[in-house]
Amino acid sequence: MATDVSPGEARANRRETLAELFVLDADVHVHEDPAELAEYADAPWDVGLREIATVEERYLDLPGISPRAEYRVPFPGGSNRRQIAASAAEMRQGLDALNVDQAVLFPDHLLSLAMVRDPAFATALARAYNRWLHERWLSEERSLRGALVIAPQNPEAGAQDISRHAGEREFACVYLPASGLKILYGHEMYDPVYQAAAEAGLPVVIHSVEAVYPAFPFQLDQFRTSMAVHALAHPLSMVANLVSMLETAVPVRFPGLKIGFMEAGTGWIPFIANRLDKEYVERRREVPLLQERPSRTMRRFFYGTQPIEEPERRSDVVALFELFDGENQAMFASDWPHHDFDHPRHVFALPFSAEARRKIMGLNAARFFGIEPPA
Amino acid sequence: MPREHPIGRAEDLPDGHHRVVRVAGREIGVFNIRGAFHGLPNLCPHQRGPLCEGGVSGTIDYGPHTDWELAWIWEGEVVTCPWHSLEFHIPTGRCVAFEEIRLRTYEVRVVDGELRVVI
Repeated sequence: MATDVSPGEARANRRETLAELFVLDADVHVHEDPAELAEYADAPWDVGLREIATVEERYLDLPGISPRAEYRVPFPGGSNRRQIAASAAEMRQGLDALNVDQAVLFPDHLLSLAMVRDPAFATALARAYNRWLHERWLSEERSLRGALVIAPQNPEAGAQDISRHAGEREFACVYLPASGLKILYGHEMYDPVYQAAAEAGLPVVIHSVEAVYPAFPFQLDQFRTSMAVHALAHPLSMVANLVSMLETAVPVRFPGLKIGFMEAGTGWIPFIANRLDKEYVERRREVPLLQERPSRTMRRFFYGTQPIEEPERRSDVVALFELFDGENQAMFASDWPHHDFDHPRHVFALPFSAEARRKIMGLNAARFFGIEPPA
Repeated sequence: MPREHPIGRAEDLPDGHHRVVRVAGREIGVFNIRGAFHGLPNLCPHQRGPLCEGGVSGTIDYGPHTDWELAWIWEGEVVTCPWHSLEFHIPTGRCVAFEEIRLRTYEVRVVDGELRVVI
């Protein structure tokens, strides 16, 4: 039978397996036990955290830190899987089963940090978490890198914490909590955070979580289902913060700052890019600092893949990625061990080119986080 | 020719219980629903999660088949994938969310108190 390639070429072109590929997972979640955080918290918040630890916690639901206004009826059934990772060893074990080589750690309860009402407590939580994460996770397991959290309630304190940890290369980015955020991340009040992150050489990552809360775009109380709230909260939060950051030209004012958007899928990216480009034609004088069509600026942002879209035609995902240069800007993220995690095998099996697959599964994230991929 | 593969004693899998067995190179979830035994592949077609390691319950439905009333149906007959909560009706292998998806079902016989999966 005639073949198009010689056996040698066929071997060279043989499709890589997931195990052979460098997989850098841009978003996994650690479980921050309040009693452990207490050991790292400034007084008197350590006392409060030990009190919180006496309450039985539920998934992303903890009094005082992330109380969830959940009105869904808890019928029997649903997933029986453990959806937390309580130690570096447990995380490593979970990631080994997924074929993930390296991962960037984001929190569980502190996904809701922006909704903590007392700025002093929010600031103390962020500081305690960063210390705890560095000592209990990042120093334990070198394949895990950290996202350094800031409390948006006190950007100056966040900037100080970034500077305090700037020399610790175990941190790979600064995490900006977006769920329930009262003032969007384009506001100049966050400039100290961007300045500190840029000086430390750390990218910033905006990450949301499902919530119903009186801050745009989380006023989702008229929806009855988690399907509605979860589907809307994540991408609308990304859209809101991205537009806010373009309005004040954060990427222009901080040209060295890399900006990433996490856990909202990617379908929203071409929507808002096209929408903003259309506006820009007519309204450029409102945003003279931007200096180019918004979609051009957006091409320098990075985007987590999870939750990956699952259209009936799988090739539609490839077409979607072409609309925002996902080949170069999308970073595989699993969201392990959360309820809607994506197995790397699933993203790996999508009909991308071999080169695009290597970039999306690890090399783009390596570029974004400044992590050296294996030779 | 289909073969019977013994997987243990029926009395060790009481009503309402299920477990995953490895037989003939595959993983199969074996369920006891009110004395009737059923087998399903331990592989969710969504992202290939270990379906039969999930919990068993009923589910909620609404439509012409429930006389247009919100109803709790199929008590003890629904397994939920531990990965992403996709539900399957155990006796028929039907995916509850996507009617067109149907898992193969394995016959499970009881012969002299011994459970045997037919493959």
